[in-house]
Amino acid sequence: MKNVVAVIFAAGLIPLVAQPPRPAQAPPGPGRGGRNFLISRDVPDRAAVERGQKTFVARCGFCHGSNANGGESGPDLVRSVLALDDEGGDKIGPVIRNGRADKGMPAFPLSDDQIKDVAAFLRSRQQAAIDRNTYTIQNIVTGDAKKGQAYFNGAGRCNSCHSPTGDLARVATKYDPVALQSRFIYPGPRRPRRGEEAQAPTIATPVTVTLASGQTIKGNLEYLDDFNVALRDASGDYHSFERGTGVKVDVRDPLAAHEELLKKYSDEDMHNLVAYLETLK
Amino acid sequence: MKLRRFVFLTLLATSLFGQGLDPAKLMKLSTDTWPTYNGDYSGRRFSPLARIDASNVTAMTLAWEYRINLGAAGEGDNASIKSTPLEVNGVLYFTIPDHAWAVDARTGRQLWHYKWETHGGIHIGNRGFGMYGDWLYFETPDNYLICLNAKDGTERWHVEIADVKQEYFSTPAPIVVRNHIIVGVGGDSLDVPGYLEARDPETGQLQWRWNSTPRKGEFGADTWPNQEAMEHGGGMTWVPGTYDPELNLYYLGTGNPNPVMAGQGRKGSNLWTCSIVALNPDTGKLAWYFQASPHDTHDWDAAQTPVLIDGQINGQPRKLIAQASRNGYFFLLDRTNGKNILSKPFIDLNWSKGVDAKGQPIPDPAKEPHTDGTLVIPASGGASNWPPPSFDPETGLLYVNSSSSYSLFYLTDTEDKPEGYGGRDSGVWSKVALKAIDYKTGQIRWSHEYGRGGGGSGILTTAGKLLFTGDPYGNFIAYDPATGRSLWHTHLPANVSNGPMTYELDGKQYLIVGAGDSLYAFTVLR
Repeated sequence: MKNVVAVIFAAGLIPLVAQPPRPAQAPPGPGRGGRNFLISRDVPDRAAVERGQKTFVARCGFCHGSNANGGESGPDLVRSVLALDDEGGDKIGPVIRNGRADKGMPAFPLSDDQIKDVAAFLRSRQQAAIDRNTYTIQNIVTGDAKKGQAYFNGAGRCNSCHSPTGDLARVATKYDPVALQSRFIYPGPRRPRRGEEAQAPTIATPVTVTLASGQTIKGNLEYLDDFNVALRDASGDYHSFERGTGVKVDVRDPLAAHEELLKKYSDEDMHNLVAYLETLK
Repeated sequence: MKLRRFVFLTLLATSLFGQGLDPAKLMKLSTDTWPTYNGDYSGRRFSPLARIDASNVTAMTLAWEYRINLGAAGEGDNASIKSTPLEVNGVLYFTIPDHAWAVDARTGRQLWHYKWETHGGIHIGNRGFGMYGDWLYFETPDNYLICLNAKDGTERWHVEIADVKQEYFSTPAPIVVRNHIIVGVGGDSLDVPGYLEARDPETGQLQWRWNSTPRKGEFGADTWPNQEAMEHGGGMTWVPGTYDPELNLYYLGTGNPNPVMAGQGRKGSNLWTCSIVALNPDTGKLAWYFQASPHDTHDWDAAQTPVLIDGQINGQPRKLIAQASRNGYFFLLDRTNGKNILSKPFIDLNWSKGVDAKGQPIPDPAKEPHTDGTLVIPASGGASNWPPPSFDPETGLLYVNSSSSYSLFYLTDTEDKPEGYGGRDSGVWSKVALKAIDYKTGQIRWSHEYGRGGGGSGILTTAGKLLFTGDPYGNFIAYDPATGRSLWHTHLPANVSNGPMTYELDGKQYLIVGAGDSLYAFTVLR
């Protein structure tokens, strides 16, 4: 078996074995006029949006709502088929200038530039709803810090690995509350979002491989599936093994306690912990 | 010159023997053809082929590989093969968004490539072709139904089936029932209504449209607070359905309601979102429905393939339909009338307070998205998703690649009338397992844990007593469907990204699987 390892090294096969699978899709092309995976139409000019907003709020907001999502007497323009079909005011312009007498909308004598700006504002409102990746998460520090501290030192047994004056000192200055909540729930690598590279494990996972011969190799886990295991030993050398007959793989997952807690947290526990961790500044 | 003569002779030969699809082949899973998305109408993805079996699968080897090359112009395209290829008369037909190919089923040699010039839309995936005689049909991200000539890939016509400017995008493989090309639509970014349509195979003209949310005054309208909510209520039709020719019913799992994660503007159960529905394919009329997720707020559509099972319950032969649903429940229904027989979770859940008298899960309001976050299993990607499951009539087990995943769900839009998603979710942890579910009891007969990662591979079972699927690490694996023991595997450069399929030509069985930008054909050499 030792020889097999040596042969693998000598043949330079390591990169092939170590290579993670190719991502299922290519990342989206950068810089397509501010577009992304969700936004396939042009993103309007910021200044035009701001000018358009002022005009819209002053002239249209009373009926259509200042956010354009509808009001007492005017329809929602974020979902409006006509407004979605519009390009630079070509569809909304005639409606603004002529009004819709049958529906009680008067005519508004806006200039060409004003109409273009209002169109830019409406497009930005539509895209704000469409692009969920830009939604702002509201205040999440709603829990009771004292109860969170009690959970930390009690039921959660967080203090068996962590300390507010040690590894968690000033942790609230390193992460915003949303990141903090996500990271203490489970600190491991996330599934990459679309277009992101896969994250390498940030926390070393010790592994011991025992071969059929009885030889043991220790290191940090690099790869594990049903058929193969790979590790890097203390000197930085890479080893990979087939999980054949008689080969034992013993993984010591340092995040096992976090995984266990996933099933136990109530949402209240979670919010109390965030409130407590937020005090560590 | 030689090549040209060869091509000429090939074309001559094909025109002599005919390239088209015999409609009778759609009624039963054949050994020499795979003429529709699931191989046949049942959605079982169980092949009667047994030439490759447990005794020789260890000798299975690569026959050919076809790699997509879009060149520089293809930058930004999504070249992941999620379509299940069709195989008809020795030719494979498959798609990715905006692109379609025909390759020789024996060699992988390209016969033609078709490219659609896109007007936009979300390029997330395409599930493949439907076929009617000599004609192929597929949908595009900008919502065109395109009809191609199977002989040479030339376009016959295209028709628009939805408006890309309203954020619709289309991914399903059309399903052909007699002279109906059944097409669905997708898109939940901006609160548009879902529908299913039948189109004419010759012209693409609309035959009927079924709206997946009611219109004012219609049956089901009382499950929405007002007209605007239900007419902007989502319910997309983005995974191909199944069909029972005897009952003449088309079965479809519908998408989630909109706004996706903010339910305060659409109080009620929100029919017919997140439902299994039975429609008459000649008229588009609803025969029955079963709602898998009443008032969903977690993006758990019920679009997963509803699989037809001809089984026995309490000793009586029954026409059944089963779904391993995205919300984590396994459902077994009577497919003649939609009556629930069994509802049982196939992963551990924390969002349900059990089921009601109709067998429909009761969501726990405390686990809806909140501004400060709720910790929910499963994540929005669900316990299962579009990758096709398989039912093996010999083991009586339904197989599904399932995720146990936790996610933090945040409500971001607290207005009375939210828009778009109205919330976000952030996955924190996920493990994937191949599960074998006993259809009669919902018990997990066996489960094979892959470990950390996300799901995404479809499943095929065969009469050779084999189950084929992919794990989250790029392995393509053959399992014993009775026990879950792995019998053969190979490591591919990307994860299995579609549902594997199989066919026999010249006495040789081929196994076809898509992984990222390549199709791989495996066989056992004699």
